Amino acid sequence: MISQYAAELCALLVEDNFGELFARIFSTLQRYDRLSFPRLKFYSRLSDRQLRHGLAAMIQHHLVYHYTSLDDGATYYEPNLQAAYYLVRSGKILELIQDRLGKYAATLMSTIMFLGHAQVSYLETLPELQPEFPKANGVKGESETGESEDQANGHGDDGHTFEQPALLHPTLKALASHGYLIRVRDAQFQSYADNALDAERALKSRPDVKQLKGKKLDETVLDGTLALLKEKLDGDLTRGLMFNGLPRGAKRRHANGSADAPNKKARVDYDDDEDEDEDEDEWSDDDMGGDTSPMESGLVVRVNYEKLDVALRNRRFLDLAELNSSPATAQVYDCLLRRIEYQTKQCRDSAEIPREGEEGEQYSAAIALSAVTDEVDPLLDLAGSIGPMEVSQPVNRRGKRPLEDGVNGTDHEASEKPSRIYEVDQHLSLLSQPPYNLTSKRMLSGLITWTVEFRHLARKLRHLELERVIEARYGDVALRVIRVLHAKGKLDEKRLQEISLLPFKDLRQVLASMQAGGFVDLQEVPRDAQRQPSRTIYLWFYDPDRIRSSMLEDTYKAMSRCLQRQRFERNRLKEFLEKTERSDVKGNEERYLSQAELTLLEQWKAKEALLLGEVARLDDMVAVMRDY
Amino acid sequence: MSRFGAKKGRKLPGAEFSWETGDAGGEPDTAPTPLFPKYTVPRGRPLTAQEQLQVDLYRSLRERIHDGPYYSILDGATSAAKKDSAARANFDPFHGMQSYSGKYQKKKRALPRILGRQYVMKFFPRELWQTIQPTFRPDAAMDGYVPQVAAIAGKRGFEDDEEEEDDEAGKRRKTGGGEDEDAGDDGDDDKDVLDPDEEQEEQLEDDDFEDDDDDMGGDYNAEQYFDGGDDEYGDDGFGDGGGGGDEETY
Repeated sequence: MISQYAAELCALLVEDNFGELFARIFSTLQRYDRLSFPRLKFYSRLSDRQLRHGLAAMIQHHLVYHYTSLDDGATYYEPNLQAAYYLVRSGKILELIQDRLGKYAATLMSTIMFLGHAQVSYLETLPELQPEFPKANGVKGESETGESEDQANGHGDDGHTFEQPALLHPTLKALASHGYLIRVRDAQFQSYADNALDAERALKSRPDVKQLKGKKLDETVLDGTLALLKEKLDGDLTRGLMFNGLPRGAKRRHANGSADAPNKKARVDYDDDEDEDEDEDEWSDDDMGGDTSPMESGLVVRVNYEKLDVALRNRRFLDLAELNSSPATAQVYDCLLRRIEYQTKQCRDSAEIPREGEEGEQYSAAIALSAVTDEVDPLLDLAGSIGPMEVSQPVNRRGKRPLEDGVNGTDHEASEKPSRIYEVDQHLSLLSQPPYNLTSKRMLSGLITWTVEFRHLARKLRHLELERVIEARYGDVALRVIRVLHAKGKLDEKRLQEISLLPFKDLRQVLASMQAGGFVDLQEVPRDAQRQPSRTIYLWFYDPDRIRSSMLEDTYKAMSRCLQRQRFERNRLKEFLEKTERSDVKGNEERYLSQAELTLLEQWKAKEALLLGEVARLDDMVAVMRDY
Repeated sequence: MSRFGAKKGRKLPGAEFSWETGDAGGEPDTAPTPLFPKYTVPRGRPLTAQEQLQVDLYRSLRERIHDGPYYSILDGATSAAKKDSAARANFDPFHGMQSYSGKYQKKKRALPRILGRQYVMKFFPRELWQTIQPTFRPDAAMDGYVPQVAAIAGKRGFEDDEEEEDDEAGKRRKTGGGEDEDAGDDGDDDKDVLDPDEEQEEQLEDDDFEDDDDDMGGDYNAEQYFDGGDDEYGDDGFGDGGGGGDEETY
């Protein structure tokens, strides 16, 4: 069962995006969990029509699971909390796509999000996805397309009308081959439990299974159910679309060269439009060469949030790598992570995050060193940021020499070509060092390969996040105590004091306040049956699992408070905001609004951005604690 | 912690593990706590460019959904609501009245508009098929596969209509007579034609009182103050209640 704040948050998100009717249906379903239509009508106090239309639209957006029972023929509805929660991540996902595959891909993605799921044939008809923008946009587009489209169109018109008659299909293919889009299957509309039960039932009715008994039966059913479920839920589109293990449209970073790389880092909102357009053109040329066959028009696609979580997680690791290594190293790491991402379907195999210490090591797909080297931009200066190659030269150890060497290194490289692989290897070794162990090396039948230990890293991220919160709340002394407790397990006060080298007074203060906050706790171990306090040992301990779950709840709560605050602030300015949304005012704000009103609008936008930005940051925390 | 604290001594038992963070002398601090203790309010960092972009993308998608066919609200408080009903009590006398500039106001939808795009019928439960596709008759074919094909074909024609001219609502009104057809038209109206009443009226009728239209109080209707007789659809949603009355019948 879901917790109170998570439920509240999901309902708020649905309301923020889809309005009150959806929110009412959703929260009713959350409260009662599984309802047939008449019961739902009774509890939600909505009319027949409202409910029917609402449910249909919510199913279209995957917000509601439905299941028609074979026994009584009744249809039951259930809330889909995952889908509701992922509404909050849409901004992040779109930004990621825009960064990787360009503006048009982001537009396409947001359209698919807007539609819930969509047939390819229907996407073809949409005016905002047509390459011939100017006409479609002027007339029809204004009510349908959002701000971002207008922005994109404003700049992109000339770019698009040039040559590509159909940008849609290559982009769709690129998205699908990255795994960001999946095929919609019937089973995805039922909840996981229903699917599992169905599969089990189907399996048990098979004659060969019926003969089995006892333990063997259980095993067969369990395995068979999982296999059947996988087959039914699987909407993977990447298989046919990858070539040479690379998704389409993935290669474009090469040709742009390293000159573009800093540009990418310093990305400002709309400044780089021309840059983007160039990218798009160049990239789709690349693709047009390959094959131009369109996607099946009967295909129904939706957003694959699981895969996007993988991509977002990799980005998080990249941030971690950027913190304490050079930009070149980070870029090499980025290449490795990309390669791994293409072969990773989801962040982890189990549905829940395993308990601390019970988690096995689990390595990602291994990527050959040569493949990583291929991926790395050939113009990237690898030598400049690591120490001199030749260890035997003692001169280089001195102060100035390495610098010179780095400068000269470029023409060295031209002659010593094979050293590039070695350099990439060096960069990756650098990353494999403690404390983070971002990579690890492996030999597979004589080939050097590199992998990433995701479970370990995800755990590391979680701990870092917890430590960050503790330091912010209780100061650095508390952080030291926590680290000692984490490393050593349960400790009594005296021992703790010896190890952490803190005066008793500070230690007690900090322990007491952390206990009050629920971050550390005390265990009593009596030495005799009477349990006298004087003859009892008190052990302090720190349980990351418990803290994680309580922190997760706090985060949900904070997010929902932010959203509530946003709603409240909106209500305060309701009259004014409605005025700005009037059909005549919108788009002509300068003309119709007074100076004071313009300032107010600006302020409101900033305020809303602040609140939403905060929600996005909290969502990062949730992702670390729950999803990665 | 002082469960068996009968030990004789100056120090209270368990005092070394006291929750009080002060000195370990054993005297609890009984002084009143300050009324407004100094508190440094934590402030968030300003948004980075990347975060700003994320927020903007989120907002634009949300706004798009709000402008789209599914965003719908619940309150239908108007002055024409039945006396003593909840809707009437919630009516805002200052801003609730119609005004001329209201015609530019963003229209609020009380019901998601389902028609106007293609759906894949098999993804929806059977009891909603008729909502999604009004031409579908559950008793016509029990097969399940046949109606699906028929539905898509039928819809495609409908869809094309939609694409070509949105404001052909009137024409379609003549051709299609079904009750859900009406609902679709309402959606169109609300996009193109000024007719804010329709949505709200429909909402009202949906709520609870399609039975008694008589006690609306005379023929003066504040709701129709501005778009009285000249509107060709004026009588459909409200006037005699005929059009809306049988919407519930399916």
